[in-house]
Amino acid sequence: MLRDFRKKILKSPISVLLPVSGLIILGLSTLFSITATQGQTPPNALSKQIIFMIPALILMSIILLTPRRIIHKYIYLIYGCILIAVTLPFFGEKIAGTYRWINFGLPFGLQPSEIAKWVIVIALARYLSDHNLKIKNIDAIVVPFLIVLFPTMIVLNQPDLGTAFVMIIPVFTMLFWAGSRPIHLFLIIAPFLSVFTAFDILVFSIWAAIMAVVIFLSRLKLWHALGLYFSNIFLGLIFPLMWGSLRSYQQNRLLSLFNPELDPLGVGYQIIQSKIALGSGGFMGKGWGQGTQTHLKFLPVQESDFIVSVIGEELGFLTLLIMLVLFSWLIIKIIRLALDTTDRFSSLVLVGISTIFLTHVFVNCAMTVGMIPVKGLPLPFISYGGSFLLSCFMMVGFVLNFGREKLD
Amino acid sequence: MIGVVVLVHSVLAFRFFQLQVLDFDIYNQRAESNRIRAMSIPAPRGLILDRHGEIIVDNYPTYILYGIGAEIINKKHNYNVISQSTGIDTTVLKKNYQNYYRNRFVPTRLAKDLTINQLSRLEEEKNELSGIIYKQFPERIYNQKIHASHVLGYLKEIDRQSIEKLGEDNQYEYGDLIGWSGIEKNYESSLRGKKGVTYYQVDAFGREAGKIFGQESILPYPGKNTTTTLDVSLQQLLETELRGRRGVGIVSRPETGGILAYVSAPNYNPDLFTGLISNSDWQSVIADTNRPLLDRVANGLYPPGSIFKMVVAIALLEKKIINPQDEIFCAGSYDFYDRSFGCWKPNGHGNTNLEQAIVQSCDVYFYQVIQKIKLDELAEAANQFGFGLETYIDLPSEMKGIMPTQEFMNRLYGRWGWSQGALLNMAIGQGEILVTPLQMARYINMLATKGKTRTLHIVQNKNHNIPEPNISNRSWNLIQKYMSKVVTAPQGTGRRSNPKIPGLKIWGKTGTAENPHGEPHAWYIAYGEKDGEMISVVILLENGGHGGEVATPLARNVFKHYFNSNRTKLAKN
Repeated sequence: MLRDFRKKILKSPISVLLPVSGLIILGLSTLFSITATQGQTPPNALSKQIIFMIPALILMSIILLTPRRIIHKYIYLIYGCILIAVTLPFFGEKIAGTYRWINFGLPFGLQPSEIAKWVIVIALARYLSDHNLKIKNIDAIVVPFLIVLFPTMIVLNQPDLGTAFVMIIPVFTMLFWAGSRPIHLFLIIAPFLSVFTAFDILVFSIWAAIMAVVIFLSRLKLWHALGLYFSNIFLGLIFPLMWGSLRSYQQNRLLSLFNPELDPLGVGYQIIQSKIALGSGGFMGKGWGQGTQTHLKFLPVQESDFIVSVIGEELGFLTLLIMLVLFSWLIIKIIRLALDTTDRFSSLVLVGISTIFLTHVFVNCAMTVGMIPVKGLPLPFISYGGSFLLSCFMMVGFVLNFGREKLD
Repeated sequence: MIGVVVLVHSVLAFRFFQLQVLDFDIYNQRAESNRIRAMSIPAPRGLILDRHGEIIVDNYPTYILYGIGAEIINKKHNYNVISQSTGIDTTVLKKNYQNYYRNRFVPTRLAKDLTINQLSRLEEEKNELSGIIYKQFPERIYNQKIHASHVLGYLKEIDRQSIEKLGEDNQYEYGDLIGWSGIEKNYESSLRGKKGVTYYQVDAFGREAGKIFGQESILPYPGKNTTTTLDVSLQQLLETELRGRRGVGIVSRPETGGILAYVSAPNYNPDLFTGLISNSDWQSVIADTNRPLLDRVANGLYPPGSIFKMVVAIALLEKKIINPQDEIFCAGSYDFYDRSFGCWKPNGHGNTNLEQAIVQSCDVYFYQVIQKIKLDELAEAANQFGFGLETYIDLPSEMKGIMPTQEFMNRLYGRWGWSQGALLNMAIGQGEILVTPLQMARYINMLATKGKTRTLHIVQNKNHNIPEPNISNRSWNLIQKYMSKVVTAPQGTGRRSNPKIPGLKIWGKTGTAENPHGEPHAWYIAYGEKDGEMISVVILLENGGHGGEVATPLARNVFKHYFNSNRTKLAKN
């Protein structure tokens, strides 16, 4: 048995752990800078993060060694459990105005929606690989979307817009991977774009023109094409009415994207301070522990959502570039593994996980540089956050497991 | 797909490059000197003036001291330095810091009402301090001649709940002052002005380092001055007269409804709420059993006593139930079934007609005539004079009082629980009837103008008119004639209110209201006219005794002051 394990580990794509270790070291040294320079005594973000590394590595190893067919067999059950788990926080207390955490009476809460991210991906992978679907038909897309939408809607109500967004993105890449027609995926994304472009009449007109061209080129039946086109236009037109029903903090976040200077002490404050921190870091940074923006606390949520700004301020553009290289190395490696695997289920799991990582990296970095609204998504392996760290290492475990040559 | 990954990372890398390498100079400069801080500049509140333009409520500059948590290096040391140069105790500073603390970056108030002297001594120690800033704040200061506390009202620091209640579009911050009662509350929106904002760039030690580029500060817009109808000298006179007593004095102009003096005694020093007065003084006001905080003018409820008799008389005259000449014998008491109702004069008034019944305030006359009408008819007449209804004065709170109807009595005592005997009590303004002194002021103003008076007000009359009662000129004339006799007749109960100024004519009515709290309340309402100039007076002394003896001299002093003073002539010219 032990020899079996040894073989399993050696056959795993262990090189994935190289970028991961690099990112972990970068994250811990940044947390060290924050806690040490500001004189925070343990338990602080650094000590908690180190302690969380232990269960994270254990879980990663367990997942690495679990036979794939067991994962395949029980994933629907796990999916059912996670649906219940993301509902549980609603029965507990509100923490920071949201129902994201479950309190077990431990000094920290657990966030089931972090785990739900990969559970959805694997459940979806099983569904798509199990069924010999006529994936080219648009109705074959319905069930995969239902699998994703149930947990996503619950998480959206917690409310946690960022996590909900991360949950929904993999379904597109996985369907594409499984062979859906791109036009179908386009039609699913189209309503959202219709809504987002509805802010501006010019942008909306451009979008309407693009949509017309795409639908025309896809050679749909005339009635289908017209129906799809005009229902999208209609959605864009009624959206301004629905805007009023958004929660005001969500409205504020969206609005501050377009003009952060509008409200220098509110939502825009975070983006302004984040940009100042990044920009003042320059090419080489101010030096470890020397970030004035960070240590005078001008930078908000610096341990988690805005940790990139801390790195950028203290260690400079060069380090951020290295960080991005590490991330792209990790993600491209996972996609390569997906391409190499002959087994459809494994391949889909890998694609889903790489999508999750990519979404996190893009949303987090784009937020800190003011390209998209403040979403509150952490950066994998770098940001402080127990549940998220566990989830990330579990995903690495799956990558090691599913990326392996077939053994079981 | 790998292409997408590369693209995403390249976009991010390019954006980082743009920010960190291309725009490095801009952001580096901003980080060096730029700590955005928005500080509001308080707007001076509008002044409150009397009718002649004399200032009643003014502003004077004080300074507020703040500490910024993130920038104070050694709290204890800072507190000691502040304490040594200003004399404020360190425990006070510590307590304030805890009370007003919101977060490390927002200035937290440490002390207020600092004088320029204290501040300049502190400024000398500036190098010893870190994260300590101050700003100027206009504080309320009051005319020393008068208190007028109930009508002016006071300001209070707004709390979190009240800010939330005001909705999203309000400009209040926690700790701001807001009008909490009286004129300050009612005219808050025009008095408060509009706050300004300045944006500071501050270095790590909290010292100002210039303005932010492109962020011009917005200057505050001072509040509007408010001219009231009050007359400081009359207010002063009445406050002096009522000092040491519990009672009310109101002087107003019947033609306009403008109030010249508004006194509720005992009152309190309006400085009490500005923070200049110690906590123990505040406790003594709260604990005072005479309840100085109660505005007796608008919120005190009293039986009207004999003053109500004019309502009864008018109701009867209008229904042609009585003939003013008919006489009724008063033997000092009246037996109604098994109950005996006494007259205030135990020896009786003898044969009495309506005129004598009002002038000498005979009760037995009214016990008999009241039996000819129903309670609801009486209530209807009383409502015409505003009893049981709001006066709609421009102040934030007033009581409506009680004018009972048949339905009210049934509800209170049950259908068979009360009898006609209750009506006998009401005929002389006793029993269930309760009025506020403010309603009395409207009542006397209606009697003075034959119903053509305007709504009572301190600043201006807003969208309310008193409906003109449907009363014949004959009744008005008769009642005015009787009220004149109250003052001029040798046995008239109001004769002591006449200052005997040539050309000045006075009409009045006394009241002595029995109540469960001891001695009767003394009432006097009157109006005087000279050369077309008219004012009305309402006096109430709680448990003062006979209205004709104790309340009338106060009214006399008011008339004497008003019609003798040069001020009136000045105002007329």
